[in-house]
Amino acid sequence: MATTATISISSPDLLPGGSLSINASATLTKAGVTADLDQKESGVIKLATGTEFRLGPLATEMSGDVHDIGSYIYICNNTTEDATRYIDWGINETMIGRLYAGDWMFIPWNASDDAAEIEIEAQGGTNIIEYCFFNSDFILPTAAS
Amino acid sequence: MATLTPTLTLVSTDASSDEINFSVTDSLNVTKNVISPSKVALSTGDLTLFAAASYTKSYVYLRNTDDTIVMDIDFGTQLSIQLAAGEFAFFPWESSGNILAKSASGTPYLEYAIFEA
Repeated sequence: MATTATISISSPDLLPGGSLSINASATLTKAGVTADLDQKESGVIKLATGTEFRLGPLATEMSGDVHDIGSYIYICNNTTEDATRYIDWGINETMIGRLYAGDWMFIPWNASDDAAEIEIEAQGGTNIIEYCFFNSDFILPTAAS
Repeated sequence: MATLTPTLTLVSTDASSDEINFSVTDSLNVTKNVISPSKVALSTGDLTLFAAASYTKSYVYLRNTDDTIVMDIDFGTQLSIQLAAGEFAFFPWESSGNILAKSASGTPYLEYAIFEA
C-alpha cells in the first residue's frame, strides 16, 4: 500500500459561467525513488504567542543522500476561539503565509539544509495546530548522557 | 465575493500501524484576483510565477504535471518546495516575496492557480 494525498478545490461562484473544480492525487514516495514512505510524525500542539518554533526535524536530523523530495508536511490551524488568531508559517527565516482558523496547507518540503527549517509562530493568542509530517529517514537525537 | 472550498485527503496504510485516513476542508472567501487553473512550461532558469507586488493575501495551488522531471519552487532565495512528478502543493501566501519556479531539466509543465482573498 502507499501513502496518497488527494486535493479538491471547488467553487460554485468563482468563475463566470461555470463552477471551478480542481482535482489531483499524488502518491507520496521516498526521495528519488518509487518506494513507499515508511516514517511519519503527527500530533496536536498548543502554540503560545511570542516565540518562533521549528516544526519537523532539521535536514541534518534526516539521513539519506537526497532527502529533498521525500518530505511532506501538512499543517492545519484548529483554532476556533477567535478569527483574529493565526499562525505565521515560513521557511528559511522567510514568512510565507498565514493560517487562520480552519486553514490548512500541504507541501512537499525541500529540506535541502538546516536553514530550510519550517518555522511557525502563533499570532493574536494561543493557537492549536495539528500536523502530519512524512519523511523517508528520521534520525533520533543522540541521548545527552 | 466567492467561496472557495479546498479539501485535502491523506491516506496511508503503511506509514505506521495506526492507519491514516482523514480529510480536512476549509471555506475561503475570495474577493480579488483569480487565476484559474493554467499551465506554463518551465525551464532551468527561474520564472517569476507570482510577483509579490501584484497580490495581497492569497491561496496558491501548484502541481507538477510531468511524469519524471522535478520542479523547484522558492520564495526569493531558498528552495522551499520541491514537486516531484505528479505532486501538488496548496498553501496560503502573504505575498511577502515573489514565488519563483524552475525545472531540474527540460521544459515540463507546471499547473498553477491563485485565489486572492
